[in-house]
Amino acid sequence: MDNSGRRTFLGVCLGGLAAAVTAAATWPVYRYLAPRSTATTAARVEIPEKDVPEGEAKFFDFGGASAVLVRKPGGGLIALSAVCTHMGCIVQWEKDTQDFLCPCHGGHYTADGGVISGPPPKSLAKLPFIVANGIITIG
Amino acid sequence: MHLPGKVFALLSPLFLALLAPLPATAAESPEIVCIQCHSAMPGRLGEPVKLWKGSIHAENGIACNACHGGDPKNAANAMSPARGFLGAPKETAIPAFCGRCHVGVMRDYLASAHGKALGKGGPTCVTCHSNHHVVKASLDLINEKNCSRCHGFERARLIRDAMQETEGMIVAIDTRIAAYKEEGTDTEGMQKGLFAVRNRFHTLFHNVDAAMVKKESAGIQGDLRKIQNQLTALDASRQKRKLAGAGGISAMLLLALFAHLLRKTYD
Amino acid sequence: MTLLKRLIDWFDVRIGAREVVARELTGYLLPRNINTWYSMGSILLFIFAMQMVTGILLLIYYVPDADKAFKSVTFIMNEVPFGWLIRLCHAVGSNLMVLVLLFHMLSVLFMNSYKSPRELNWLTGFILFTMIQGISLTGYLLPWSQLSFWATTVATNSVGAIPAIGPYLVEFLRGGKLVGPPTLGRFFALHVVLIPTGIGALIGAHLFFLQRTGVSTPPFGQKETANQWKGDGYRYESHPEGIPFFPVYALEDIRSIFIYLACFLGVVFFFPNLLFTKEAFLPANPLQTPLHIKPEWYFLANYQTLKIFPSEFLGLAVQGIAMTFLALLPFIDRDPERHPLKRPLFMVCALGGLLLWIGLGVWGHYS
Repeated sequence: MDNSGRRTFLGVCLGGLAAAVTAAATWPVYRYLAPRSTATTAARVEIPEKDVPEGEAKFFDFGGASAVLVRKPGGGLIALSAVCTHMGCIVQWEKDTQDFLCPCHGGHYTADGGVISGPPPKSLAKLPFIVANGIITIG
Repeated sequence: MHLPGKVFALLSPLFLALLAPLPATAAESPEIVCIQCHSAMPGRLGEPVKLWKGSIHAENGIACNACHGGDPKNAANAMSPARGFLGAPKETAIPAFCGRCHVGVMRDYLASAHGKALGKGGPTCVTCHSNHHVVKASLDLINEKNCSRCHGFERARLIRDAMQETEGMIVAIDTRIAAYKEEGTDTEGMQKGLFAVRNRFHTLFHNVDAAMVKKESAGIQGDLRKIQNQLTALDASRQKRKLAGAGGISAMLLLALFAHLLRKTYD
Repeated sequence: MTLLKRLIDWFDVRIGAREVVARELTGYLLPRNINTWYSMGSILLFIFAMQMVTGILLLIYYVPDADKAFKSVTFIMNEVPFGWLIRLCHAVGSNLMVLVLLFHMLSVLFMNSYKSPRELNWLTGFILFTMIQGISLTGYLLPWSQLSFWATTVATNSVGAIPAIGPYLVEFLRGGKLVGPPTLGRFFALHVVLIPTGIGALIGAHLFFLQRTGVSTPPFGQKETANQWKGDGYRYESHPEGIPFFPVYALEDIRSIFIYLACFLGVVFFFPNLLFTKEAFLPANPLQTPLHIKPEWYFLANYQTLKIFPSEFLGLAVQGIAMTFLALLPFIDRDPERHPLKRPLFMVCALGGLLLWIGLGVWGHYS
């Protein structure tokens, strides 16, 4: 009788703990399979239009990385990521040639962000923006 | 008796697919022809290969032709000027030679007292960095032995001291990132971040201007702290994993104990 | 309780469930002197199931493309919640599977359980062993790291030492002159479909043979340890006075599995880098051979054997002979005596072989 009581007790302990462990082990598997949240709360950045005169570039922080606004001769605006696609240095605006140069390894980009020469594998990423009431809103 | 033999024959590729010593494959990795000839040459012509093998360029896969041009795939025309072979630059051409890739550094160098003395006894890139055995730049390059080849160490010491703290931070962060990288943590973002900051910082040095170094250091240290925070967050998550692991192991041992005791009741 | 009983009754009247339980579980009697080594097979079944589950989970995010494989593994290890855990479980599990399999084989060897009428159990087990080696080798390439790329290069390269067909065989294995994207494709197919299916089928055969022949009696603590079977007719080895598999020995199996799990989690959480070198976290680069690429620990002895022989073919031939000898062991060793201590020559050979294997492995590691 004592033995059977002991057996029941141990059986409940074993089964209970095993069930708890199994339940705990499904949590990582569930998280592994759960859809990944794609919602990005990208902070918007506002820059006054007068800060970007013709032929000049304005660098700013966008979502934790560097970005740049360029006003081409003729007035066209472009917003680009300023992070070089080669090794992640920050590109520099060359006013006299109207293009971007990455000082780390000599990557050259057009004012539109396209690669002219050097090691960068792809163009600078374009950023969406709108212009309203003399304010440029990026993001 | 036939079956096992047959099965063995069928499976033999599997268990014969065992491992051979490395030298057998060295010949298989396509090498550039420059190295094939030059590594066998004595003295001045063979030395660069040995030196280059220990360089940061070799580590990053930047081979002979990246600087010297030519055709690394064609032994007959490897050194043909028609294929862009450059050979060794003259002393005054050295900054432009290296500056094809290290644009920012060249610009700061040319603007500095060092660069202005180019061709008039001033130092070129290789004076401090050496040529083929160029290694990752560090503050160690600014030392009394190096600088006092041309001038007193006093001003150089000022710059060195101004850079010391930030450099220390960079080195410490670099070590921590490397440790995480070796464990398979994706450190690419942090590495690129650190690379950019380090570059900004080392470019600064080529100005040879102590006041400017001091002025810029605060911003650079701020950026470094951001990377430090990422590393601290990683440390915390690894600690949490260990705790969870300890919990899991204890549960398993407890389960084994229950099973053992339950088994004993049947004796 | 009545609901449960009714459910069981429902099944019982349809498929005779109680009879199966009575015959295969509670009525399945095992020798009284059975020991813990007999639970290695259950641990292996458990590990194989774990490898299947973690492997399927990894397939969800893994991309078998030379350009994307390394990135996808990095993604699993860093971005996917608990991806690191699943991946480490799979990698650590594969190594421990080989280790437990070696224990299983050694216990069978030292208890002389491979002897007739159990030749088929040994043979299917031995083929399973080579298939486990094969699944480890093919799985090793999939992360497309420097380590996997170069380990596979040297592994497939040694096949070239086979006379005449060797060079073509290497090319056929790799799907090209060198290890490259075609190799990844074929190794992927082998690793996730062909070899696991083969292993599953062979496990079925292995268990079927066990079920038909019955569990062998350990030679320890017995007066008569000679093999009784004369080969005159089929006979199920029953153990009328034995202990029931369920619940008694099943509990011992469960105990073994939990002890295994504790060790397994210990490696996963506290020594995950036991199995990885830093090359395992660099993407494969066909133009840059890393220094000191070593095979995994269970291939180290083979690796060293190839190195110490003057010609690669000789080294390969010696290994082939050794493997064939082991595969055919029950046909070669026909001595009816089963107690290892009554067979000093066998003990010396078996222990000597084991020490040689360990010694070659250690030598290979430090050479």
